Amino acid sequence: MLTAGLLEEGPAARVVADHCRPAYDRVSLQRVGDSDVLLAARLGAGDDRALSEAFDRLGPAVYAGALRVLGDAAAAQDVVQDVFVELWSHPGRYDPGAGPLRAYLVLLARHRAVDLVRSELRRVARQENSYRLVPRLPDPTPLDEAMVSEAAAAVRAAVQRLPAGQRQMVELAYFGGLTCREAAKAAGIPEGTAKSRLRLALAKLETLLDREFLESS
Amino acid sequence: MTGEERPPTPPARPASPVLPAGLRDRVVVAAMRARAAGRPDPLPEQIAPDEAFTRAADAFHRLLRGLPDADWARPALRDLDVQGLVGHLTGVEEDVQRCLAGDPAVAAADHVASTQAAAVRQAGRRPAETRAEWRLAADRTIELARACDLGAEVAVHGMRIPVSLLLIVRAFELWVHDNDIRQAAALPSSVPDPATLSLMTEVAARLLPRAAAMTGADEPTSLHLVLTGPGGGTWDVPIGTCGEGGAGGEGGAGGEGGAGGEGGEETAEPADVVIVSDAVDFCRLVANRATPAGLDLHITGDAKRAAAVLAAAPVLALD
Repeated sequence: MLTAGLLEEGPAARVVADHCRPAYDRVSLQRVGDSDVLLAARLGAGDDRALSEAFDRLGPAVYAGALRVLGDAAAAQDVVQDVFVELWSHPGRYDPGAGPLRAYLVLLARHRAVDLVRSELRRVARQENSYRLVPRLPDPTPLDEAMVSEAAAAVRAAVQRLPAGQRQMVELAYFGGLTCREAAKAAGIPEGTAKSRLRLALAKLETLLDREFLESS
Repeated sequence: MTGEERPPTPPARPASPVLPAGLRDRVVVAAMRARAAGRPDPLPEQIAPDEAFTRAADAFHRLLRGLPDADWARPALRDLDVQGLVGHLTGVEEDVQRCLAGDPAVAAADHVASTQAAAVRQAGRRPAETRAEWRLAADRTIELARACDLGAEVAVHGMRIPVSLLLIVRAFELWVHDNDIRQAAALPSSVPDPATLSLMTEVAARLLPRAAAMTGADEPTSLHLVLTGPGGGTWDVPIGTCGEGGAGGEGGAGGEGGAGGEGGEETAEPADVVIVSDAVDFCRLVANRATPAGLDLHITGDAKRAAAVLAAAPVLALD
């Protein structure tokens, strides 16, 4: 039985304590390991220090993963926050048996980042008069430019895989900076056809880029 | 390769960019807003203490019903065989019922001596008779407790505690003796359901300051206790003069948000000791059914203070 630490003061309490004093007086102690299994268990128990440890250990890799896809520091920070809040809110979704925590978090970051890219593509597609694949960014740092180059290369490769008609529309509208009407005129096709080809191209690009980024994770 | 040639170095992982200042705090604040520190996930079902005792009694009864007659004669605890141990529990129920009825005679009674007669009188009885007597006594305890104000303090076996806490302590005891019997009968050990275990770990965490004081391990220590697995949680427990009144802070399943929950600030002072244990293991330790050396504990901080706290943990256990 357990007395719940609320023994009344007095002889009875002392007798209980003397009677039950453990026979051992030395304990074997282990140092806290940093294994993912232990970290996951601590997160599940609500240990906020485990979250801080996970962030200190893996935050830079998660940030780098997001930045590589997005090329934008502010957006990458949002992704980092989403990823660690997700880890803290639903620690059971990470299965240590399925792989390292680092891989899980970096993959999660890339998924979120790709979602952001897709959202941006959809947003741009809704703006008929200002089709631009890459939004205008404030003056990039050399690091930003290095990160962007990877995403840009992936986009260029995806565009090359489009059917000729769709590729032409993307090149004119996005890379050439033309409006949809101007692009249609340049290609010698009706404006409706140009819009249709652009819509199909964007849908295909989303799929191709999604696959590209996920596979690279 | 000559002796002076170096082996090829493995390809280095690309250097990660430096994290922007303030991102860590921002992440912690957002995370604590989503889920308070100390709160386990998944959160176990919330049950009342009388329900915890009822579940423990039902589990114990199921064990007894499945026990072959031959196992009732096996040595179980102290000088008691299984049948005597069940008799001891009947005696405990009788004392608890007297305390719930306001009988002061059981307030300071010794847990073992006071129940010895009930244990001894089982000799020569059929196991089914012993089992039926205990079940009736346990049911009577539940009936009386539910008629009480659960917040009212009662005194039994040297404890003065609210009825609600007494019921959790009793659920703890039934689980401990359930496993005593399982060990005697070479059966696999049992684990309480997460809802009941959650109440037990809460009690176990909160009694630590008192246990430490009773063993003289009262050097001021800030203990960050993490109990993992279903029914676990996280508590900040002040030991010694650095705090009074038991565990505070994060408070496990039923607790308030704690460290890091406000403004994303770091905990004011790092804990002197962090102990991470499986929740069931820790309950076994507190019940004096396991030693720290036999458990898979993970500790950081002052090892000497951690050892003192762990050695004190079982001091309030009663057989």
